[in-house]
Amino acid sequence: MVAIDPTLLTNIFLIGLSGTLVCLAVHFIPVGGAPAAMAQATGIGTGTVELAAGSGLVGLITASYMYAYEPLADIPLVMAAGAMGSMVMLASTMFAGSLIYAYGVAVPFASAQVKKDPITGDRQDLYISKGTQGQGIPTICFVSGVVGAALGGAGGGLIYFVLMDLYKPLLSMTSAFAVAGVFTMGVMYVNSVIPSYGVGGTIEGVHDPKFRRVVGKDVITSFFVSILCGLLAVLIAGGMSV
Amino acid sequence: MSDIKERSPNELVLFGIIGGLLGIYLTYILPALGMQISGNVGELLNVIAPTFGALGGICAVMWGADAVRRVAKYGLGTGVPSIGQIAMGMGIIAAMFGLAIVQTKILAGPIVALVTASIIGFIIGWFAQNVIKMKIPVMIRCMTEIAASGTIIIIGFSAAVAGNFEFANIVKLVFDNGVMLAVFWVGAVAMLHPFNACLGPDERQKRLLYLAGSTGAITMAIMGIAATMTLGASGVITLVLGIVLWVIFYKKFWDEVYHDAASVVGTGLIPKTEA
Repeated sequence: MVAIDPTLLTNIFLIGLSGTLVCLAVHFIPVGGAPAAMAQATGIGTGTVELAAGSGLVGLITASYMYAYEPLADIPLVMAAGAMGSMVMLASTMFAGSLIYAYGVAVPFASAQVKKDPITGDRQDLYISKGTQGQGIPTICFVSGVVGAALGGAGGGLIYFVLMDLYKPLLSMTSAFAVAGVFTMGVMYVNSVIPSYGVGGTIEGVHDPKFRRVVGKDVITSFFVSILCGLLAVLIAGGMSV
Repeated sequence: MSDIKERSPNELVLFGIIGGLLGIYLTYILPALGMQISGNVGELLNVIAPTFGALGGICAVMWGADAVRRVAKYGLGTGVPSIGQIAMGMGIIAAMFGLAIVQTKILAGPIVALVTASIIGFIIGWFAQNVIKMKIPVMIRCMTEIAASGTIIIIGFSAAVAGNFEFANIVKLVFDNGVMLAVFWVGAVAMLHPFNACLGPDERQKRLLYLAGSTGAITMAIMGIAATMTLGASGVITLVLGIVLWVIFYKKFWDEVYHDAASVVGTGLIPKTEA
């Protein structure tokens, strides 16, 4: 078993923090679910978990690349690499989606939650088709999504960095990469599903009134669950050192 | 349609836990027996042992699919797939913890993993019910069951690929070559697909359980392919048995669909011109 010392407590806390970052990230991403897939709601036309996990996993790949090939990589650098990968992934997803909404479905991009776009100041309510909750991905949703992806990728990079530091002395390099990667994936999935239950499947981004209503309780839940995951991760390291 | 008899949740819990753990432990016990018995019988026991892990995994898939059915009936708002993914997320954390923490007392591993998964599931269920306020009465119980079945699925199918459930061995044969990702994803789909496909009016438990059996058997066949790479002959047995089970379960599911449908008619091709 492992003795309790400040480094381990810091590790547990950092894993808890990174899980919370992933949870917070989901609230920023404009998820429209099935209605958005039919251009009847604002956002990207797929589920919360798919988007959070998709961008998070790309962030994990870029973070691990940074970790493996840059010997001087420290926490901020790995987190930045993760954030960059996630942002590129989500921005290209939203861009490709926007092309289809604009030229394939032919809908004007409008949000039903605000009267004016907080960034461009354009009127929104005039362009919403009757009986829908907005269409496409307006500027504010796009920006909010990219910010969310950055948070998620940074969170993923942080868990990965902490776990690699824990497991590297105990396992061969390949195994440490694999074990840390899979554990990160597990924490990421748990923390992307919890907020998706909180938001009830769809959210437009930071300007959505839902954001303020649910973000508090989701973050609290996520923090406690991630702390538990962090505790387990540290204990696994104790179990490996036979 | 209340006259249809359903398997009670408790029956399926017992089926999943006992069947799953039995399969997982047989992967350890049979080779130990094989050492005692010399000759062909002993070798045969060694070769077929890993297959039982996958069979245990199928028991857990059927249990998990029913737990998904009970909770997803209330409408989660996020689609059924999310619950399969959180199940595997919780399952993999608990499985790694359980198998690693026991160090040399290997036999305790799966049980520790099962208990850990239940605790994580219970905590997430409690938070979902009382902090996020999802107002689903069966949330806590089902989340616990889903996490527990997820961890048995992960350990069972990993054992089928690695030969046993010793953590060092699983890291070498399942994590290092990336088979873990297949266990994770195919296992998640095996668990979430049955209800995702069957949901709606006139959804029936029997049909869902047969479909769960068939998705579990597909997972087993895929693990068989992976095991051919790591274990050789044992993998071929897992693969062939997986395909046979898949055909059997899918035929049963097919029969149930025909039985439940009012009538099954061929519509022919779409006519080329409007009539």
